[in-house]
Amino acid sequence: MSKKTTAAAVLGLALAATTAWAAGMHPGKESIEKSGYKGPETCEECHPGSAKGFLDTVHWKHASKVTNVEGINAKEEYGMKNRIYVMCNGNDIVNNLKEIPKSPVTGKSKFSGCNTCHPGNHLSDVGSTGAAAEAAVDCLVCHSTDYDFRQRKPFKNEKGEVVMGQDRSTKAALAIGKPTVKNCMVCHEAAGGGVIVKRGFSFTKDTDAHAAKGMVCVDCHKAKNHKMPTGHDPNNWANDGVFVSCSDTSCHGVKPHKDADLNRHCAKIACQTCHITRTGGAFAKDFTVWEQTPDKFYEPTTLKKEANETTPVYAWYNGTVKNTPHFIGPKGSKKDGKSKITPFKIFQGKAYYNKQTGELLSMDFAQPMSDGDTRAGVLSAAKTLGLKNPEKIAKEAVPGWQTIYFGSNHLVTKTKALYCANCHAPNGVLNFKDLGYSDKEILKLTSPELFMEKLAQKQKEDW
Amino acid sequence: MKKAVSVMVLVAVAALTIFCFGSVASAGEEIKMVGVITKIDIAGKDAKTATATLKDNKTEQLVVITVEDDLTLDKFKDHRIVEGDEIRCKYEVIDGKNVSKLFRKTAGC
Ligand code: HEC
Ligand code: HEC
Ligand code: HEC
Ligand code: HEC
Ligand code: HEC
Ligand code: HEC
Ligand code: HEC
Repeated sequence: MSKKTTAAAVLGLALAATTAWAAGMHPGKESIEKSGYKGPETCEECHPGSAKGFLDTVHWKHASKVTNVEGINAKEEYGMKNRIYVMCNGNDIVNNLKEIPKSPVTGKSKFSGCNTCHPGNHLSDVGSTGAAAEAAVDCLVCHSTDYDFRQRKPFKNEKGEVVMGQDRSTKAALAIGKPTVKNCMVCHEAAGGGVIVKRGFSFTKDTDAHAAKGMVCVDCHKAKNHKMPTGHDPNNWANDGVFVSCSDTSCHGVKPHKDADLNRHCAKIACQTCHITRTGGAFAKDFTVWEQTPDKFYEPTTLKKEANETTPVYAWYNGTVKNTPHFIGPKGSKKDGKSKITPFKIFQGKAYYNKQTGELLSMDFAQPMSDGDTRAGVLSAAKTLGLKNPEKIAKEAVPGWQTIYFGSNHLVTKTKALYCANCHAPNGVLNFKDLGYSDKEILKLTSPELFMEKLAQKQKEDW
Repeated sequence: MKKAVSVMVLVAVAALTIFCFGSVASAGEEIKMVGVITKIDIAGKDAKTATATLKDNKTEQLVVITVEDDLTLDKFKDHRIVEGDEIRCKYEVIDGKNVSKLFRKTAGC
């Protein structure tokens, strides 16, 4: 077929399909019903290029170039594929999906690996390219509302290779639409090692003002060609080069309030500071000591709280990131003219450091998960990464702590937003001293003088 | 001095009692457990309630939990939660039923 006839065919199919479109149904439904779902190639009939385009996104590559983080190579790509930190002390490479050694207690094994949160089939893995990769994309995990998750499990094929299963049924392909919250939460809900562990990220009508209005993830994370806009979370480096912010003109703009006093504060204070007053999830993990769970496997020792149970820490943030073996978090200051006071979820994790270089090491979880031997995990990871003298490194590795800051960008509230007296008081939520204010400034900033008249007036009106 | 201490103890005891009664009266007792699902009963796509039988890891006893929250029901419906999954659960006894307040897969890193 020539290019022209293909285009005409696509147009024809699409035109025939648009009648259904008006009825709110996916226009491709009838065609899929007739010929069945055979994977991305079925979609490509009417959406040419979408699978190939997908291979060039963070969701496929788990990495991208990163420009706002210090101490890394501007030419390399970073992300879950290869980063090392202490929320999950490994990455897709050292924790490639596999069967872990049998538990010495029960004789049972299980599958484990970071790249289970990837819409490929593992044979075509994180960052793979070419025709096989295109055919392996799981379009339905993000687009179907009738996905059977029993299919989305790792298993071994005839050749003994570990495959990540997908629901490729025609039934699932008949329920196509733009992604729902559930589609995104397939992976995002349990990021960090369990439900709401990483950020206390619960997106329900009780926990988020936008969810309460019926909004879904892609109402804000509007993607074109599968490039998903993100923000500047100091611990979510990989990005598709497109960004979203509360003060985008298509959202709220820079002066969202009727009250000029509140709008004036937006110059120095991030929207999130007043509108996201809580965070949650895990606040500490120990990767050097794993706990045995009732199934006799082991998990890193983890302390955690519910979605809205912890208070954030506030820091000046200019969008660039300090990155050292013991700290990954925001850079900025009161004086640089670019920073805003921003809330973060603080997390501390203990893991092994290289005795010679002081660098944070990573861990392959397979062995520790089986019998709790964490140094064996360090050894395996050091070997995978080709470090010199892996045995020596693992034997001498020194336990230590790393503190990391996570952006706090969901769990939005209007009714509980911080108001004058929440901050301008001696026991207010901001620690003005830590934020760099002088004693004289603090005296002024913690006095009711700033809001007395305003709040008295408001009180009168309210009653 | 002795008297002051005993008064304080009394006050503390009183406070504790009030606190305990307070929590019982307002919310019922929340029971926590970790267990493996042995059975899920849910009646179709539109079900507004379901039961899951969990085998308590500590006591090995079977506990039938009633689940009513939409998020968890949805996970039963599309099989994101299935038999064999280990669950961390908080429930309250209401009218003789163990009503789930929290129902999460334990799966870690
Ligand atoms: C017979 C043609 C046809 C087939 C096959 C087809 N689609 Fe579509 N699809 C359309 C048309 C036409 C539209 C509406 C116009 C547009 O957005 O391109 C559409 C829209 C969409 C949208 C946007 C929905 C929205 O509400 O914004 C998504 C997502 C989508 N299709 C995904 C898929 C996926 C995934 C497959 C494969 C399982 C597929 N389509 C197969 C014709 C088709
Ligand atoms: C349940 C799905 C899931 C699993 C399993 C998972 N992750 Fe992730 N991970 C995510 C998501 C989603 C993000 C990005 C969103 C966020 O940070 O909230 C992420 C982000 C990351 C990042 C930050 C990447 C960046 O761009 O800076 C690292 C590092 C990471 N994960 C490590 C791991 C490691 C190590 C494992 C395995 C031990 C793992 N993850 C397993 C879902 C998962
Ligand atoms: C990681 C989740 C994810 C996967 C996997 C995924 N999509 Fe999408 N898709 C999205 C998002 C997000 C949008 C944008 C929705 C919006 O902004 O309204 C989108 C939009 C679309 C659209 C609408 C037009 C466009 O490009 O914006 C089509 C068609 C589409 N996807 C097809 C596919 C096909 C075909 C596959 C498999 C090759 C696929 N998608 C895989 C998340 C995904
Ligand atoms: C198959 C698992 C999976 C699904 C489904 C998924 N994500 Fe992700 N997402 C990830 C992982 C893993 C990362 C982190 C990759 C990294 O940083 O290396 C990520 C990163 C992101 C990021 C930050 C990086 C970027 O691309 O901008 C955003 C925003 C995001 N996801 C939004 C969404 C939305 C919205 C949906 C639903 C349409 C969704 N995700 C569905 C796994 C998933
Ligand atoms: C009301 C708009 C809105 C909705 C709805 C929304 N987000 Fe976001 N999200 C944002 C903004 C804005 C940022 C970036 C803020 C910044 O860094 O300045 C963000 C950041 C992120 C990030 C980067 C890591 C982080 O937490 O900062 C991920 C991943 C993400 N969102 C995923 C999701 C998923 C998945 C959903 C649905 C469950 C969702 N978002 C719903 C606005 C939204
Ligand atoms: C100094 C604290 C503060 C900052 C900073 C702040 N807000 Fe607000 N905002 C509030 C308070 C308090 C309310 C509730 C006012 C009310 O209930 O009348 C509010 C209300 C709102 C509303 C609802 C308005 C309405 O009329 O219903 C929106 C939307 C909003 N803020 C968006 C933003 C955005 C976007 C930013 C960042 C550009 C931001 N806010 C920054 C404190 C703040
Ligand atoms: C999130 C905490 C927060 C809230 C809520 C807040 N402020 Fe402020 N306010 C600050 C900070 C921080 C500064 C200093 C900003 C700077 O460095 O320029 C400030 C500065 C001010 C100033 C200027 C003080 C000076 O230096 O002369 C006034 C006046 C003021 N706030 C009044 C209010 C009023 C009135 C409200 C309620 C409508 C309010 N603030 C709500 C944090 C807050």
